[in-house]
Amino acid sequence: MSEKSTRRQFIDRSCRIIGFAAIGGAAGLLTHRVSGNAVYQVDPAKCTACDLCRTSCVLSFSAVKAVNQFDKCGYCMLCPAYFDVNSAPNERGIPSGKVCPQDALKRRVVGKVDEEDPNNNYYEYTIDETRCDGCGKCVKACKPPMGNGSLRLEIRYARCVECNECAIMIACPALAILRVPVPGISPARSAEEGKHA
Amino acid sequence: MNPKNVEPRQFSLRDRLDKSWFWPVGIAGAFSAFVTAAFRTPPGARPAPREPGAAAGRLGSQSGKPAQSPGKLERKYALTAVLGGTSSADPFRRSLVGIDVGTDDRIFALGDEEVRIYGAGGKVVGRWQAPAKAGCLTAGPGGSVCVGAGNFVEIYDAGGARLGGFAAGDAKAPARITAIKTYGKEILVADADARIIRRYDRSGRQLGVIGTQSKTGSFILPNKSLDFDVDAKGVVRATDTGRHQVTAWTIDGAPLGRFGKFGMANPEDFVGCCNPVNLAIAPDGRIVTAEKMISRVKVYEPDGKLLAVIGPENFDPECIHIHLALDSKGRILAADPVRREIKIFSLAAKTGNESPGGLHPPADGQLYEVTRG
Amino acid sequence: MPEHRCPSRRSNGSRRERRLFCTGEPTYTTDAGGRHAPKPAWLVLIVLALLTSSVLFAQYQRKPPDFGGAYGFPTPEHPEPRADWIRILDIAALAAALGTGSWLILKRRSRNGVLLLSIGALAYFGFFRRGCICPIGSIQNVTLALVDSRYLISIGVIAFFFLPLAAALLFGRVFCGSVCPHGAIQDLVLLRPTKVPERLDRALRFLPYAYLGLAVLFAGWGLYQQRRFLICEWDPFVGLFRVSGSFHMLAIGAGLLLLGMFFGRPYCRWLCPYGAILALLSRVAWKNVQITPDKELDCGLCAEACPYGAIRNLRADRASCVACARCYESCPRHRQPQAAPGGGDSLIQVS
Repeated sequence: MSEKSTRRQFIDRSCRIIGFAAIGGAAGLLTHRVSGNAVYQVDPAKCTACDLCRTSCVLSFSAVKAVNQFDKCGYCMLCPAYFDVNSAPNERGIPSGKVCPQDALKRRVVGKVDEEDPNNNYYEYTIDETRCDGCGKCVKACKPPMGNGSLRLEIRYARCVECNECAIMIACPALAILRVPVPGISPARSAEEGKHA
Repeated sequence: MNPKNVEPRQFSLRDRLDKSWFWPVGIAGAFSAFVTAAFRTPPGARPAPREPGAAAGRLGSQSGKPAQSPGKLERKYALTAVLGGTSSADPFRRSLVGIDVGTDDRIFALGDEEVRIYGAGGKVVGRWQAPAKAGCLTAGPGGSVCVGAGNFVEIYDAGGARLGGFAAGDAKAPARITAIKTYGKEILVADADARIIRRYDRSGRQLGVIGTQSKTGSFILPNKSLDFDVDAKGVVRATDTGRHQVTAWTIDGAPLGRFGKFGMANPEDFVGCCNPVNLAIAPDGRIVTAEKMISRVKVYEPDGKLLAVIGPENFDPECIHIHLALDSKGRILAADPVRREIKIFSLAAKTGNESPGGLHPPADGQLYEVTRG
Repeated sequence: MPEHRCPSRRSNGSRRERRLFCTGEPTYTTDAGGRHAPKPAWLVLIVLALLTSSVLFAQYQRKPPDFGGAYGFPTPEHPEPRADWIRILDIAALAAALGTGSWLILKRRSRNGVLLLSIGALAYFGFFRRGCICPIGSIQNVTLALVDSRYLISIGVIAFFFLPLAAALLFGRVFCGSVCPHGAIQDLVLLRPTKVPERLDRALRFLPYAYLGLAVLFAGWGLYQQRRFLICEWDPFVGLFRVSGSFHMLAIGAGLLLLGMFFGRPYCRWLCPYGAILALLSRVAWKNVQITPDKELDCGLCAEACPYGAIRNLRADRASCVACARCYESCPRHRQPQAAPGGGDSLIQVS
C-alpha cells in the first residue's frame, strides 16, 4: 500500500511539475509575443453599407453608428443622404422624402443665412446616435459620385462590448471589419509592429 | 475497507457496452458530428465581396434610376473616336485630369503626370512632364499651354519649355485651382477655396475677380470644385453646383444671368446634390455641361433650353468629373477620369428647329436674365 | 446508501480514474488567409488614413468653405475603447478572487463564503463586464496565437487563460467554484439536486473533451478556411449577461438553466471545454479535496450533499469536484469537530 502511495505521489508530483512547466512555457512564449489590445473597426474603403451591421451585432441596438466627417462634408442644401432625391419635390423644389428610416440625420442651417434665397445656405448634418441603428442608408447615399463620401459607418466604443470575436465581422460580405491594434499595456510590442508593418 | 463480495452476474450486451468506451465515444461523436454539420458554410454560400466598380450599391439609394426619356430633342450626338483608352496604343495608366483643344484642333490632355498632345488622327505628337499636383490645363494663344497645379500657374510653350509661372491667390489664402482658361493675354483660374474666378495677366498680376458681385452671394460648391469657360466675347460661364445652376458673368465680374435647377425627373434639370460639375462653351455659343451621379453630358442653348443629351452609357458611373472641351468643328471631347479615356462625339443629327445663333446677344448687349426655377 | 462496487475500480485510497483521454489529431488544411491579420495602424482612427487613399480625391483638400457668420467646426467625438487600467483591474480581480476562493475552501471551509464570492464574481465578471473576455473563450485566443504568430493577443487574455490553470494545479478547480460566472449562475438556480445515473454521467463527461478539441480545431485552423470562435458563438450565458443575443444562444442558455434546477451545473460538468483542461490539471493538484478513508464515518452525508456527483463510493473524484464546499457543510465532523470521536480533525481535508 505504501509503495503504491509513494508511486502515486511520485506520478502526481511529476505530472504537476510537467503541468507547471507546460503552463509556464506557453505563458512565457505568448508573453514574449504579447501586443497591445485589439479592437474591431469598420474600414470605410471596403464597406458597402449593406445593412448587416444593424442586424449582426450581438447587441440588439447595434454599436455601429454613422459618423459624419465634417471637413469632407459639402454642407449641401440638398444632401443626398438626408433627402431622397428620387422622391417627388415639394413646391419649393426640395424633395419631400427622407433617406433615414429612423430620422437620425439632423440638419441645421449654419453660417450667414440668406433668407431670400434658400439655396444660398449651408447646412450642417449631424447624427443622433440615440436613433441611428447602423443601417447605412445614408452612408450609401453619400458615397461618390453621389456625394463627397463624408458619412461612414463606425463602431462606437462607448457602446461596443468588445467581444472576443466580432459577430459583424463574421457576417460582413465585404470583409470590411478589421481587427486593429490599440497601443496598450505593451507599447514596446506595438512599436515593433509598427516598424515591421 | 474490505471489499464486499460481488454476486457474479451474467455478461450481457448491456454490460459489455457499459464497460466499454461505447457510450462516451458514441455521445461525443454524435455531438461532434452535430456541431460540425451545424457550422458548415459551404464556400459558395458565403456572399462574395462586392467589386468596387459594380453599379449596384455604390451609387447610393437613389442610384440607377435614369432620368425620364428626353423626348424630342433638337440634336443627337454619336461617338466617333476614343483616345487614350485601354485599347489604344498609348493608354493613360494612372490618371486623366484635364483636356483642352488648341486653335489648330490639337488635343491637349493632362494625365499620368504629363501633358500629352494629340495631333491629327489621334497620334501623340508631343509630351512633357507636368508639375506635381497638376489638376487642369488649357491651350493658350500661340500654341502655349497653361497648367494649373495646386495654387501655381505654369505656362509652357508648344514644345514644353517653361515660359513662366506664378502663384495664384495670396500667401494667407492660396488658391486651389480647379479650372484654368485664357482670354486673350489674360489667364483666368477658378479658385475653389475662395469660390471665385481670378483674372491674371501673364506675369501674375491680379486684374480682377469674378463671382463676388452677385446679389445672392458667391458660388456654393459642395463638391469643392469650380469649373468655367470663357467665350470669344469675354462672357464667362461658371458652374454653381450647390445651386444646380450655370451662371454667366462679364469678364469684369458683372452678373449676366443664370439658368438651371435641381430635378431628377426632367432631363433639362441637374440631378443629385451638386451639378453640373464641368462646363464648356461651344464655338457656336452653346453650352455643354457634364454631370455626376448620372454621368451624362448635355448641350444647352445659352438661355437654358436643352438641346441634346449624351447619355450615361458612355461614361463610368463612378465619375465625379467629366472634363470637357470642344474643337473648332463643334465636336465634344469628354474625358472620363475613371476609365481614363477621351471620347469624341460629333453631331449626328439635328432637327433644324434651334435658334440660329446661340452665341450672342440681343442688340442691347445683355444676355437673358433668366432664373429658371 | 447502496455501495456499488464496479470490478474495474480500485478498492483502496482515493479513487482516481487513471484513464487519460486523448483527442485524436484531426486532419486539416492550413488556412491560407487568416482574417485576423493586423493592419499596420497605430490608432483606432485608422479609418481616417484609409479615407484619403483614393486618387480621385487627390484634388480635394480639407479646407472648409467660408460659411460667413460665426460657425465653428464641431469637434468629432470618437469614444475610446476600454482603457488599460480597466484591463489590469480585471486581472487583479481575477487573481484576488482565485486567492480568496482557495483560502475560503481550503482553510475556512466555508460554503457561505464561497457562495458570496461566486455571487460577487457573477456580478463583476458576469453582469458588469458583460462576460467578455472569459477564460473559457481565451482557449481560442491562445490557440490562435500559438498557431498564427501575427495574431494579436493581449496580456489580459493571457492572464485570464493561465491564472485559473495555475490555481488548478495548486488548489484544484477553485475557479469553477468561486469565480466563474457561468458556474455561479447555475449554482444559484439549483433547487432540487437530483442524482444523474452513473452510466449517463460517465458518458456525458466525455463531451467537454470533444468540445475542447472542436473549439481548438475551429479557432486554430477552421473549417472551409474560415476560423470561427465556436465557444463564443455558442456560449449559453453571455447572452444573459449582455441582455441580448441570438435566439439559439438564449434558448440554449434557458434550457441549461432549466436543467440546472435539477441536475446541478450541467454546463460545467458536461460541456465546458475549459473545465476539461481544469479537470485534467486538478487531478494532480498540490492541495485538493480528499476524503481520508481511515477516519470516515461511512455516513454518506457528503455524497448526498454533493450535487455534482463528485463523491463516488465515498471517495472524492478530483476531476469532477468544482470546489463548492458543500461537502464540508454536511460533514458532521466538520460541524462539530470537538464532539466527534477520534479528535477534532475533519474527515474531509486537504492533503
